[in-house]
Amino acid sequence: MSDSYAGHIRMRVLQGVVIAVFVVLAGRVAWLQLYDARYEEMAKANVLRHVVEYPPRGEVLDRNGEYLVQSRECYDLMVIYSEIGKRGFDTLRMCEVLGLSRKRLERELANARMRPQAPRVVANYISKEDKLRFDECNFRGFYTVYRTVRRYPNHVGGNLLGFVSEVTPNYLKYHPDYQVGDYVGLSGVESAYEPVLKGRKGVSIQEVDTHGAIKGSYMDGFFDSLPEPGQYLVSTIDSRLQLLGEELMEGKVGAAVAIEPSTGEILMMVSSPTYDPDELVGRERGNNYMKMLGNKRGPLFNRAVKAKYPPGSTFKLVQGLIGLQEGVLRPSDLHACHMGYQAGRMKMACHYHASPIDLRFAVATSCNAYFCYVFRDILDNPKYDGVREGFAAWKEYVESFGFGRKLGSDFLDEGSGYVPDADFYDRRYRGSWNSLTVLSLSIGQGELGCTPLQLANLAAIVANRGYYYIPHIVKRIEGRDSLDRRFYERHYTMVEPRHFEPIVEGMWRGVHVDGTSTSAYLEGLDVCGKTGTAQNPHGKDHSTFLSFAPRNNPRIAISVYVENGGFGASAALPIASLLEEFYLTDTIQRPELLEYVKNMNIHYPFYDR
Amino acid sequence: MTANRYTGLSERVDLWTILLYVLIVVAGAVSITAASYKENTANVFAFSHFYMKQLLWIGVAWVAALVVLLLDKRFYHMLAYPAYAAGLCMLLAALVLGKEVNGAKAWFEFGSFRVQPAEFVKIATALAMARVMSAYTFSINRPRDLLKVGMVICAPLMIIILQNDTGSGIVLCSFLFVLYREGLNKWLCIPVVLVATLFIASFMLSPMVLLILLIVLCTCSEAMMNGMWRSRIIYMAALALAAILLCTVMHFIAPGVLSLYGALLTVTLLSLVGVGIYADRVNLRNIFIPMGLFVGVLLFLSTTGYIFENVLRPHQQNRILSFLGVISDPRGIDYNVNQSKIAIGSGGLLGKGFLQGTQIKYGFVPERHTDFIFCTIGEDWGFVGAMTVLVLLCLLILRLMHMGELQQEPFGRIYCYCVASILLFHVLVNVGMTIGLMPVMGIPLPYISYGGSSLIAFTIMLFIAVRLDASMRRFSLKNY
Repeated sequence: MSDSYAGHIRMRVLQGVVIAVFVVLAGRVAWLQLYDARYEEMAKANVLRHVVEYPPRGEVLDRNGEYLVQSRECYDLMVIYSEIGKRGFDTLRMCEVLGLSRKRLERELANARMRPQAPRVVANYISKEDKLRFDECNFRGFYTVYRTVRRYPNHVGGNLLGFVSEVTPNYLKYHPDYQVGDYVGLSGVESAYEPVLKGRKGVSIQEVDTHGAIKGSYMDGFFDSLPEPGQYLVSTIDSRLQLLGEELMEGKVGAAVAIEPSTGEILMMVSSPTYDPDELVGRERGNNYMKMLGNKRGPLFNRAVKAKYPPGSTFKLVQGLIGLQEGVLRPSDLHACHMGYQAGRMKMACHYHASPIDLRFAVATSCNAYFCYVFRDILDNPKYDGVREGFAAWKEYVESFGFGRKLGSDFLDEGSGYVPDADFYDRRYRGSWNSLTVLSLSIGQGELGCTPLQLANLAAIVANRGYYYIPHIVKRIEGRDSLDRRFYERHYTMVEPRHFEPIVEGMWRGVHVDGTSTSAYLEGLDVCGKTGTAQNPHGKDHSTFLSFAPRNNPRIAISVYVENGGFGASAALPIASLLEEFYLTDTIQRPELLEYVKNMNIHYPFYDR
Repeated sequence: MTANRYTGLSERVDLWTILLYVLIVVAGAVSITAASYKENTANVFAFSHFYMKQLLWIGVAWVAALVVLLLDKRFYHMLAYPAYAAGLCMLLAALVLGKEVNGAKAWFEFGSFRVQPAEFVKIATALAMARVMSAYTFSINRPRDLLKVGMVICAPLMIIILQNDTGSGIVLCSFLFVLYREGLNKWLCIPVVLVATLFIASFMLSPMVLLILLIVLCTCSEAMMNGMWRSRIIYMAALALAAILLCTVMHFIAPGVLSLYGALLTVTLLSLVGVGIYADRVNLRNIFIPMGLFVGVLLFLSTTGYIFENVLRPHQQNRILSFLGVISDPRGIDYNVNQSKIAIGSGGLLGKGFLQGTQIKYGFVPERHTDFIFCTIGEDWGFVGAMTVLVLLCLLILRLMHMGELQQEPFGRIYCYCVASILLFHVLVNVGMTIGLMPVMGIPLPYISYGGSSLIAFTIMLFIAVRLDASMRRFSLKNY
């Protein structure tokens, strides 16, 4: 009996062992299946492949509905190295079909071998035709991805429109919503309206087997999304005017900006030298970009919004207006000018003209002396306690015209120009300075720096008699009723509108009666203009011209700035005049002037050293 | 008479066992279908599919089961030795003439079918074990008889290991389970388990830790037998103190000659002389058991390195090392186990559904219809499915043990326990390896994994037990 009892005990022990074994197994299975969530993720990582579908980027139209920027279909060639057959493939054939160099293909393949399981781009910008031929060849492990690239039917507006590029690692650091391989607008309109233009990427989640072959879509495509194309933009640019502007500015360094005063819409924006935006698309992009970077004239520098130019005599408009508002100047005030302004040892030269003269004539003939008086009267106004206060008041006026600060246009890289403040002169002259010390400001020289956009805005302010709309480049965005509200607000200067008429009169006279701008006369268009000639340390004077037309209900306000162009009337004026003529009448009646501008030969010792 | 006997048989067989068996086989067939089903196949019922082949094997297995049931009980008793001898011959033949599959020369090939004799040798060995141990004069604790049993187990084990099919060979070690049931002295059982544990531990622990563990273990087991804890603790403390002292002294005499490990080893071995004299004096003979154990294990441990390097082949070494976490290589050596864990782990509570398991369907788990079939169950049917299968297998094993206990004759009981122990070992190792509890060994999950040899062999093995059980019931009806 004791034997059978011992056997019973042993049976119980063994039953315990069996149950213990199963409890351990069950516990481990429960741990894996119920508790540890990692395995689900790992299973998905095994089996799911996210295939990104890129949307076509939004297109850009000009104000008349012509395409400035189009999207063109193209393909990226991708490879998953581990899926290339063991025997390799016909590299020569592939190079032939896709027009690649063999060296490059081999280099990319060597890179792809580092991570054989991951898809990797081998070549970009494969045309549709090449892609179709490639599809016929059926290379294992290779496939193409739909992309769009930019195309510029008019070949205009390089800096204005900006360019698109694949995101850089640095960009990715600050923009986590982008991924490697995405394209992003990096300047001009492309970067300003990136969120609108880029559209939304689609994704299709596919199931792959252990060999990487696609077996079907995950959850019947429940989590898939289609790419949403980017919205199109209607730009305020008039592409024909832009084209003419670029032609006229060719060979010159400078900028020309035209604004519609009644809306603040930028009709044209030329930064010269410019480039054909198509050069920054496609396989030659890198080479072209490096070439442009090497060009000393800086074709990639958008002078129209970034350059700081001394405004020269065009700034006299601002001085006159401030004088009128401050009450130190009446339009009928006469000042004498005999070849210049003299105060003590200080002398400011002027050209020969009748004397004494009133404000209107002073504007028309661009008298330096007259505005020296005006400027000194503003700064030394007895109602202010000393020149520092007078200068502060003056600076406040100037800034209300949009100088010395960013206008708030839609260009992200807009420059602010420069207007010095009293502290600046305190530092420079160790506290001892007066209205005479800073006299060169009166005629827009000295430390002043203005962007061509700010100058065009000044023309628009005068044209509007006292207010402006923030200049902007986009008229309408697909699917939206309006733009940012800041573009619909009138911004008044600190000068009351009633003071503008004498200045406008002066500008009109300068063209129509007797003054520096008479060659800007256009029959029946009532052009008003103001020349500027700015001294600078880089060579010949800069030539600038500010203008709007017609005098009443102006349709275009324009500023042209030609570096080292000499007198305002010799380079900038004819360009502005031709542009106005073309915009307002759609024709050019003065072919000889056109020839003159195109053949104008300006020497740039500073750039071409 | 014949008719009577026939109907009687169907009443007498243990229907619970057969029900469990059928359920498990059906679960296996379903899993194999899921693991080998290919979408877009023209002919779903084509015979080239694994699941269609398995259906055929199930048919063959059931015919075999019927034949087994129809034969007389005494036939198996009679057959034990001839079958064992035939099995050994088959193994030897396979070793010489067989075909090599996955590095193991353990297969006969007949046309498109392959047979693995090792599967059938398990039955023969179980029968031979039962026959040897049920002999009237057999006493398990008599060394001569124990040696006989050991030889019965070791002969096929050696040949199978020579075939490079270590996994199948080690299965035979599970007969320790049976030996324990039959009254093998637990002081012989425990060392065997201990040695196996230490073999594994020797890869993970430093020799110093092993030695300390060993000393503590042996002293404690001795204290368990004889009491007198206090003196045993003093003994251990004295050993530690002496070792440190010796090490320090040697450090001044001859620096670098003797490490602390060496000092502890020396002190302990020297102390054994004293312990032996003490045991002789106070007449505590059983002190010699832990002493012998200690020395034996020490000798054994010094050979583990040699066994590991020379007996195991590189892939087996890697599997053990990766299982122990000594090396980690998810894309290489660990790939199978890693993918298997992913498949099971991603199943969740209810699983992804029949044929919906992506890891299985898209081939991430290798050997998913054979050795890693449990992944298919875990992924497609989730925790619920996996538990169902585990519970069915557990019940079957417990039922077999229960059947064994009911036997009147030792032959039947021993045989039932042999079957139970083989099944338990297979389930533990196979399921254990899919969930990362066991090193990878190529042994199938009984009744579920794809494979004719294994299915038919396991079926015959089980139904012999059922047949023995049925005949017992007839006798019991007559007698009581």
